[in-house]
Amino acid sequence: MLIFALKVLQMINSVRNTVLSVLNKNNYGYISPSDFNLFAKQAQLDIFEDYFYQYNYQINKENARQSGTGYADITKGYSEVIDSFSVTANLAHIATNTFSVPTELTTDSDYYLINKVLFVDGTSLKEMEQVSHSKITMLLNSLYTAPSTTFPAFTIEESTLTAYPDTIDEYEDVKCQYIRYPEDPKWTYLSLTGGEPAFDSTASDYQDFELPLDDEPDLIMKILQYAGMSIREIAAVQFAQGAENKDDADQK
Amino acid sequence: MAYITQYKYYENDGASPKDENWGSYQYVSLADVVNNFMLMYAGNHSLVNNEERFKVLFHAKRGIQELNYDAFKEIKILQLNVDDNLRFVLPSDYVNWVRVSVYENGVLRPLTENIQTNWSSAYLQDNNNDILFDHAGNALEPGNSNLDLDRIRGSKRSIYLNQNSSFNGLEGYCCDGNWYFDYSIGARFGLNTETANINPTFVINKQAGVINFSSGMSNRSCVLEYVSDGMEGGEDTKINLNKMFEDYIYAYIEYAILNSKLGVQEYVVGRARKRKQALLRNAKIRLSNIHPGRLLMNMRGQNKWIK
Repeated sequence: MLIFALKVLQMINSVRNTVLSVLNKNNYGYISPSDFNLFAKQAQLDIFEDYFYQYNYQINKENARQSGTGYADITKGYSEVIDSFSVTANLAHIATNTFSVPTELTTDSDYYLINKVLFVDGTSLKEMEQVSHSKITMLLNSLYTAPSTTFPAFTIEESTLTAYPDTIDEYEDVKCQYIRYPEDPKWTYLSLTGGEPAFDSTASDYQDFELPLDDEPDLIMKILQYAGMSIREIAAVQFAQGAENKDDADQK
Repeated sequence: MAYITQYKYYENDGASPKDENWGSYQYVSLADVVNNFMLMYAGNHSLVNNEERFKVLFHAKRGIQELNYDAFKEIKILQLNVDDNLRFVLPSDYVNWVRVSVYENGVLRPLTENIQTNWSSAYLQDNNNDILFDHAGNALEPGNSNLDLDRIRGSKRSIYLNQNSSFNGLEGYCCDGNWYFDYSIGARFGLNTETANINPTFVINKQAGVINFSSGMSNRSCVLEYVSDGMEGGEDTKINLNKMFEDYIYAYIEYAILNSKLGVQEYVVGRARKRKQALLRNAKIRLSNIHPGRLLMNMRGQNKWIK
């Protein structure tokens, strides 16, 4: 387990070394640490977002009975990766029955997707239902389905979450479980050694990739595409695209 | 999750009211129904998917309402004295009546619904019978119509054989041991059993939300048995349904959603409908609680001669 963790911790260095190795193979060129960090961020976001599409794709395959259980349960893998970005936190109270959505400022991370919002009703938790703006007015006027403390609801406008009924109005009344964005990766270095920057994982702003180890090839290919475009080397782009397409096809 | 303790059940943990949980085990709450449905019947691998919870809540409530009208047999009963205007205001959760009785001397006497009306609205009219209007163009209305006034004053005659009958108190004559009355000679060949009731009668004015009684009911104790829709004044936490109908309500919600959802195959909707109907029949039979013990007393009278 420790070995796995160490490997994960140093994934960004491994990715960078591989990218540079491929780029340097035919003297295509070199990318600076700052460029690498920019490309790494984009690549990570690409893959991160793709998890949700892949998860949905796998659900459809399950419904079509084209997916198995046990080791063949691909959905479970995606679900686990997505869950590794899950955060549960109290939402900051702004004003009457309004709360702040998760932000870097209030919950230490921005949200990619709000999975559920909970109303803390004494000792019990009630799941609040997100209602679209096209429905909320009618819902509030509905005798049967108007939000109550038993069946609370909420809407989101900009960075504000409005809770219904408006008696939900206290700090710590509302909890949120959401999927945060991965931290921006940052390959940090100490000094130049023989003309090359030396990797330093102890720097305060160091940030490894947050994706699992099996995404390393995908990260490399995506960064290679960005790097290839950067140094105007179409062969590098085509190579990476080809490898990525093959990988995608294999996973279907 | 553990059920409530015996102490909580019998004594409500020492809190008031003590009887809060008595009999509660017969019922499942609306919150549980919606929660269980979302958990068990909705999701990525279920027939129902991507539906808002408020839709489930709506159909759950509609299902409970329908069950309250006939299947539940949850009769509510309210006793009130009838006021001087011979009115009994319908309860706030009234939907339909089952029986209206007068209660006196320790006996409940069921009343008959009058087959004729005993109330009406009216407009003020002048000597030429033209309707009178106010400056806004609205017809002027009296406090009571003549029909109402006569009923309240006790001067309205009744076709029922009670104190307001046209023939009440009229004397006949006895001949050879038989009584004869002028009004019946050559005209009356038998008793109209539909109107042969001595008790006061009533008519329900649904729009006005009152039961209008014939005279003779003033200040008498009236017992109204009625059904509600189970919505408990909109208090979601108090809405529940009998456990006999739990499976039915899930089937009802599923059917209601599938039936109104675009692109669901007809055979799927049909299957859901049949399941719902079958479960309703089962639940009704269960709730009717027919067993030999209940039939015994009735069956003991099978050899009694009916005169």
